[in-house]
Amino acid sequence: MTLSHCIALSLILCGIGIFGMMTRRNLLGILLSVEVILNGANINFAAFAHFKAADPVAGAVFPIFVMAVSACEIAVALAIILSMYRSKKRLDVYRLEELNG
Amino acid sequence: MTDILFYSLAVLLVTLSCCAVSLPNMLHSAIALIGSFLITAALYIMLHIEMLALAQIMLYVGGIVVFMLLIILLTTGLGVDDKLGRISAGKWISKGLITGLLLTGMLYFFTENSSDLLDKAVAKSAAIVTIDQIGTRLLSLENGFIVPFEVISLLLLAALVGAVVIARKDAEKTEDLS
Repeated sequence: MTLSHCIALSLILCGIGIFGMMTRRNLLGILLSVEVILNGANINFAAFAHFKAADPVAGAVFPIFVMAVSACEIAVALAIILSMYRSKKRLDVYRLEELNG
Repeated sequence: MTDILFYSLAVLLVTLSCCAVSLPNMLHSAIALIGSFLITAALYIMLHIEMLALAQIMLYVGGIVVFMLLIILLTTGLGVDDKLGRISAGKWISKGLITGLLLTGMLYFFTENSSDLLDKAVAKSAAIVTIDQIGTRLLSLENGFIVPFEVISLLLLAALVGAVVIARKDAEKTEDLS
């Protein structure tokens, strides 16, 4: 178990998350893939803090901030999903076109 | 011994994440996500950062995924969304190819341009971070994280209020009730 192994693991997790974001059609599925990507980023922080950092406490504090921000993001996004489901009755991203994006 | 443990945990983590991303039933994928978060907590314990493992289990497994499961049950019944068209196999394969190319490209880049940062990393291992240290650093004024800590608390409050406002039912209905 070296630093390179941890970085490779987090890179693979990031790739899996990007694949999920591209293939899912459900809004909830896309949010779930974002969580996988954030998980990989947190593993990266922890690995660098353990193996390399002159200041390992900072590397342990940053994932906590990432977790807090992702909790905020999930709360707001799930509220948006809920209100969107009330008005549209579906969560297909290919059908949600009123913003014309 | 640690190597074998790490490899088995990593393989499990990657398989569970693949399940979470590709299973057609949303309920099953959320449960696979719970498993992947628990394995990540085990990896944090292997890296001697127990605080992160605790936070991972309490915040992600106890909070975020449960929230997600509630929303899945509220919107798509038992996770099966019949109104949702399936993605065709061609699109699936092409997107898999794009991601695979990205991954192999980055792996190639990092292995070709090897640096001292990665090579000498093994020697300096085993810096144990205790919960005491994290708490003191989080709230200390000198060289600490007091400002991001306070900003995070404001952000959490704003997100909470915003989520309640967005998820509320229409204004006319609530006015009728009151």
